[in-house]
Amino acid sequence: MSDSHAPASTYLWIWCWLAGLMLLGVAFSALPLSKSTIALAILTLSTVKAALVVLYYMHLKSDRRVLALVAVFPLVVIALATLLVLSSRLVTL
Amino acid sequence: MTAVVMHAHPAFGTGHAPVSATGVPSHKLGMWVFLASEVMFFTGLIAAYVVLRLSHPAWPGPEGHLSVALGTTNTLVLICSSMTMVMAFAQVQQDRQRSLRAFLTWTILLGCVFLGIKACEYRVKLTHHILPSTNVFWSCYYTLTGFHAVHVLGGIITNLWVLSLALRHRLTPAKGYVVELAGLYWHFVDIVWIFLFPLLYLI
Repeated sequence: MSDSHAPASTYLWIWCWLAGLMLLGVAFSALPLSKSTIALAILTLSTVKAALVVLYYMHLKSDRRVLALVAVFPLVVIALATLLVLSSRLVTL
Repeated sequence: MTAVVMHAHPAFGTGHAPVSATGVPSHKLGMWVFLASEVMFFTGLIAAYVVLRLSHPAWPGPEGHLSVALGTTNTLVLICSSMTMVMAFAQVQQDRQRSLRAFLTWTILLGCVFLGIKACEYRVKLTHHILPSTNVFWSCYYTLTGFHAVHVLGGIITNLWVLSLALRHRLTPAKGYVVELAGLYWHFVDIVWIFLFPLLYLI
């Protein structure tokens, strides 16, 4: 339940992680690596940051599983739709 | 149709609140379903951006007209505002009214700072005649950041309303769900920016 009283220190630590990961992403973007490697690394960092916000700030970690299903469902739908578009002959990549 | 029963729920203090058959308070379930629709909206826009980008062999890009420093600052501002928002929720649960008002005020101010920086960015681009019609990148940029800014504005207005309740001593621990629901929306807006920033500024 969201009535779990996470201590303020937990929220501060999550903030430190979010800020640190964000700065790491910015630093990574300046490295002389291929665009695809940089994109993969930075989007992975963004996914980790989003997960931290959802799990701790939105309390999904301690909430009921049904809310996780509600949150994940649209992502699955969009992922399927995107795969459908990318595999379509209408789109030239 | 989801059955609704009435029984005590810790999130509502000692009072009684409608709880759906899933065991989740109805307001909270409703907010998450609303956020799911918002996820569909933004993920659809982002997916369109990715498909457009992959299908353009010569992607124009920002060509040096986007400031990574300003984008980084704005990301930090939103991350800070998410922290102050969740702290506000923690304060209302413990009935610390002064801290609640302070954290809500900080959240609103940080949201305004974000919009102020975004407005400055828009102004600089417009003075350089960079418009949505300039090329496909700027069409995507204005669409994605414009819709996001509207959502930030919506969050600020919501938080102002919540602050007005706090100032009138209407937010007791039993009414803490009001802060929680406003916070869920605010954190969602933060998450959207967490993805928009690297997609538009870094990659």
